[in-house]
Parts: sequence; structure tokens; C-alpha cells
Amino acid sequence: MTAGAFISLLQGAGMTLFISGAGIVLGVPLGLVLALVRWGRVPVLGKIVAVYVSLLRSVPAVTLILLIFFAVPTIGPEIGPITAAIVMLTLNTAAFNCEIWRAGLNNFPADQLEASRAFGMTPLLRFRRIIFPQLWRSSLPPLINEMTMLIKSSPAIAVVGVVEITRAATRIGAQTYDPLPPMIVATVLYVLVIMLFVGLQRITERRYGQIGAEA
Amino acid sequence: MSRDFGIVWDHADLLVEGLINTVILSLAGAALALMLGALLAILLMSRNRAVRIPFRGMVDLMRCVPFLMLAYLVYYGLPSFGLNLDNWSAGMFTIVIYNTAYMAEIFRSVWSRLGRESLEAATAFGFQGPRLYIRIIFPQIFLASGPLLGNQLIQIIKDSAFLTIIAVPELTHAASSIQAQYFVPFAAFIVAVLIYWALCLLVEAGVFVVERAAEARR
Amino acid sequence: MSSMKSTLSRSILAAAFAAVVGVALSSSLAGAATLAEIKARGYMVVATEDDYKPFEFMEDGKPTGFDNELLAEFRKTSPVEIRQQVIPWTGLLAGVSTGKYDVAVTAAMITKERVKSLDFSMPIADSTHFYVKRKSDDSIKDIKDLDGKTVGVQSGSAQLEKLPELEAMLAKTGGKLGKVVQYTSYPEAYQDLALKRVDYVINTIINIRSLVKDKPEVFELGQAVSSRTVPGWAVQKGNSELLALINDFLAEQKKNGNLAKLQEKWLGQSFPDLPDSYEP
Repeated sequence: MTAGAFISLLQGAGMTLFISGAGIVLGVPLGLVLALVRWGRVPVLGKIVAVYVSLLRSVPAVTLILLIFFAVPTIGPEIGPITAAIVMLTLNTAAFNCEIWRAGLNNFPADQLEASRAFGMTPLLRFRRIIFPQLWRSSLPPLINEMTMLIKSSPAIAVVGVVEITRAATRIGAQTYDPLPPMIVATVLYVLVIMLFVGLQRITERRYGQIGAEA
Repeated sequence: MSRDFGIVWDHADLLVEGLINTVILSLAGAALALMLGALLAILLMSRNRAVRIPFRGMVDLMRCVPFLMLAYLVYYGLPSFGLNLDNWSAGMFTIVIYNTAYMAEIFRSVWSRLGRESLEAATAFGFQGPRLYIRIIFPQIFLASGPLLGNQLIQIIKDSAFLTIIAVPELTHAASSIQAQYFVPFAAFIVAVLIYWALCLLVEAGVFVVERAAEARR
Repeated sequence: MSSMKSTLSRSILAAAFAAVVGVALSSSLAGAATLAEIKARGYMVVATEDDYKPFEFMEDGKPTGFDNELLAEFRKTSPVEIRQQVIPWTGLLAGVSTGKYDVAVTAAMITKERVKSLDFSMPIADSTHFYVKRKSDDSIKDIKDLDGKTVGVQSGSAQLEKLPELEAMLAKTGGKLGKVVQYTSYPEAYQDLALKRVDYVINTIINIRSLVKDKPEVFELGQAVSSRTVPGWAVQKGNSELLALINDFLAEQKKNGNLAKLQEKWLGQSFPDLPDSYEP
């Protein structure tokens, strides 16, 4: 492999990080909103969220991105590959994040909620002062675990022409007719990125004493 | 558009073949990974650090590799080491080794949450060695892991879509080849999405039944 | 975990979802932009591939190859800005047939199935399908030796569509087509040929020549396994003004000798007697 090829792979890694980062930044709060809708038993909307979560966690990333990339423009606006990739990862991770936030909400101590209600706190204040500060701590390790799952599913976005790590490796292989070396380097890059998150998860687990390692 | 769905319907045999491959790969792969994962969990729970640490490292490393890359390396990389698997076997092999790590991690986490009491009681009743694991420990862990194992099975079904890269004729491969030849991307992929959804709803229903059984045993 | 009842109600919702999507899609199928619309918006979207050496491939992250150099010429004469999307083969032609891209600037073989949904430009090369085999494999010397052997092709490719021609050739000598393995792209198929997982791969003579030139110790060019096949650029069916613009450009390139020059440079030979239009 040439130096130029290696640089292409690093640029691909940059794209993987950018798109995954965007998916995380959008998907984590969206998941919280969805979780609150279900937790608060909002009529109709709660049911829709339940269906959304069930559907989104069942669909493979590759299939979903192809659907978004080709189907959305026929019923709505034209959508570019990078936008499609961010939308796909956000929608997908939000479904999983919703379940994580919801588990945290369901396990929230009922006596604290009652006490805050007795003090006459508004629901918004109660969420901001009482629930959220504890909720995010207990949810952080599984949320970070979900972030690694997101990065691991990100090779799917190559199929619509986003040049992330995998596609960069494919291109080099197609030029040299020797696809294995760039794929090995690509795998090493993924492992380094994901290890970073796994390390982060270990630290938060230790700090907040949670078991969130399961997939 | 109805013409598009008609084209997909005309090639329903391809989709059915893909679906069968997806189901067999996922179920058989999950079953094998479950068994190997249980064995690996015993090693992860070992009191001996020299045993525990290296296996811990292996599991962690496996959890850092994207499934797609692993499939690629198994299929195109292993022949350099003399292991030349056909695409279907390579897909199965990848599912099993990848998920063995995840299954072991699930069992480990559930196991470490289970009380030591039942274990000590069982030892007191004279259960030892393999019988202790088969009769006492694993039945408890399996039942307590129900939802997590269900989630993992859904993950396996979704990951199997990546096997299209090594030409395994699974469901996404079938949908993709129909759309690439007849230019009916929406119809082909919406049908695929709905089939995946149906599969995962079945898994959820299965988890529900297992949970019922777990409660009945309690 | 959900109860059984809600699982059921979800399935009902699933059916509802399918119906909604189906109706939404059927009600508004987007058409491709006409030349007038393209001029009005000021740009044209063309799609090229990135792993189709020597037609289109990437060198250190930059698109290069036959079609990309031809596209560079097109940029000079085009009345509007050209925006290039580099995407994998899987969704490329579907993207053109549904109006996502205006032109497929790739060597797409003109086939009977494709002309139902696409209109093709004049041929840009002559590219009949050949088989390629491992150099070390002595069991294949002639087409009749392909009897029952495993073949690799790209999914959704013209090579796949034209396999019945090979089947007919084999039938004449009492043979039959073996197992067909479909790949998402050709590099994987070549890799599997080298690893003995398939016995031969079918691609155009141009692609195979490029492969054999780079890896002469591994691969060997076989014989033609289809009737004459030519590639062209593609637009959505009925987008005739846009097609005329492209054909005018290509005719000009043919006349001034640039097309022949690029063919020599990338495809290894020029094709002076290409027809101005082609019916598959």
C-alpha cells in the first residue's frame, strides 16, 4: 500500500468519525424525547413511538440506508448521501437510545418522584432538577455501548457513496486488484476508534457503578 | 409502482431463498454461539487471573471489530492461512465467532448478578463439575438472560445483511440483486424491511414465551 | 418487554405502515429533470463508479479512468455546471431510472432489460464479454470446458443478463451452465477466482485485459462468451433532449479524435467502427 492510499484511509476514518459523531449528537437527545413520550404515556404518540422503536431496531442498516436514499426523494426532498447517512444512523440509534433512557426512567425511585410532587414542583422543573441529573449518570454506560454499535454499523453507509473507512479501502483494492491489505488496515482503524469508546464505557461504569456492558 | 411490486413478486422465489438463508444462518449461528459462549463464560468467570485476563482481552477485541470487516477478513484473509471456506460457511463461521464473544459477555454479566446462594446450596447438595453447570448454573442464567439473548438474536439477523459483501445469498442480497437488475429499489427494499420486521417480531414473541416460563419456574 | 397483545397490534400497524408507504410512493413518482429544468436549476448531476477499472476508478482519492477523462471534456462544453456523485454500482442505474441522477457516466452495457427503463447514448466502446480464468487452471482451454463450472458475475450486471447466451453455447456441446455466484462488485469476484472459489469470471474484454495486465501471473484471458455488447452513458427513459446533448458531445469527441485517443490510453485500443446508435 502506498502513502497516498494510507492517507485516503485516514480521510475515510475522518468521515466515519464525523458521520458517527453527528448520529450520536442527534440520536441521543432524540432518544430521550422518544423515551419521555413513552414514559409519560402520551396518548397515540406513545403507541407510534413503540411501533417506531420496534421497526427501527429490526431493520439492517444497509437496507435502511438504501431505502432512505432512494425512497425519500420520490415522496419528499432530494437527499444527498451524507445527509442520508446521518439520518439513517440517527433514526436507528434513537430507537435503541429510547429503550436505554426508558429503562432508566422506569427504574427511577418512585419515592423521589412523589416527594418532588409533594413539594409542588412543575413537571419540567422536576425533570430538570430531580430526574435528569441522576438519569444521565445511570444511562451513560449503555449509551456509550450503543455508540460503539453505531460505529460498527456505519460501514453500511458506503453503499450510497459515502467514502468512509470501508469504501476508501474498497477503492484502493479495486485499483490494485489486491483488496486484502487495505481491508486489514481499515479493520485496525475501526478497532482503534471503537476501543476508545469501550475504554470510555469502562471508566463511566466504574465511576457510576452500573452494569451496562450487555449488547 | 404496483408494476414494481409486481416485479418483486415475480422474483419471490429469490426472496424466499434469501429469507431461508437468513433464518438458517441466524438461528444455527446463534445456537452455536450460545453454546460456545456458555463455555467461554466459564473461563471469563474463572477465579484464576491467568485464565480470565487473556479471554477477557479476546472478548473485548472481538467487540471492537465491525461485523462486516470480520466477515471480509474471514472470507478473503483466512485462505492465506490455508483455511478456504465457501461463502456460506464463511458467513456462518463469522456469525459464530463474533457472537460467541457477545453471548459470553451476556452470560458473564447475568452470572455475576446472580446470587451465590443457589450455587452454594447446590454444592452442598453434592452437585459438582459439569453436572453443577448443566443442572444448576446454566438453566438459571439462560432464563434470566432471555431478553438480552433476544436482543442479540435480532442483532444477528441484522448483521447477517452485511454478508452480502461475501456473496452469501441472504435476504438483503436477494432484494439488492432484484433492484439492481430491474431498477425497483423502493419495492424491493420495502419488502425486505417488512420481512426483517416480521422476523424480529417473532423473536420478541419468543422472548415473551421464555419470560413466562422463567416466571413460572420462580 | 411487550405483551403478546401489543405484539399483535404491532403487526397490524405494520400492515398499515406498508399500505401508507405503498400509497405514498405510487401517488408521486418523481420524474427526471428535463434539459430545460436542468438549465433552470443551473446544474446537472452525473453519477460515476469508483471500482470499475479502467473505466472509472480512484487513484489516491481522485476519480480517474476513461469515463472521468471524457467527463472532464464534457465539463468544458456543457451549458450547465456538472456535479459528480461517485457511488457504488448497486444503486447507480436505479438512481438514474428514478431521476436521482441525471446521467450515468459509466460504461453501462446496453441490454434489452435496461432499455425498458433507460435511454442510452451512442456506444463509447466495444466491449463484448469474455471469461477470465486462473492461469494455473489447465482444465479450461475452450468454452466447452466451462461445462458445470462455477462462474462469478456482478449482481444486476449485463454479464448476468447475458448468461443465457453462454448457456446456449454450452448446450451445443452437450454442456450446461454451472453454479452462478453474484458479487456486489468485481474485485471480490476476482479475489475469489484467485482463491479457487469460482472457476471463471465473466466481464467485458476491456476490464479483463486491465486485470490480466496488472496480474499476469494469476489470471488469463479466455474467449468471448456473448454476442457483441457495447456500453454507453444512460439517462432516464424519454429524457430525449438531455440525451441529444450528450450524443452531440460524444459525436464531436468522435470527430475530433479525442474519443479514439482516450480509448487507446485507457482501453488499450480504439474502436473506429462504433455505430452511432445501438439496439440490443
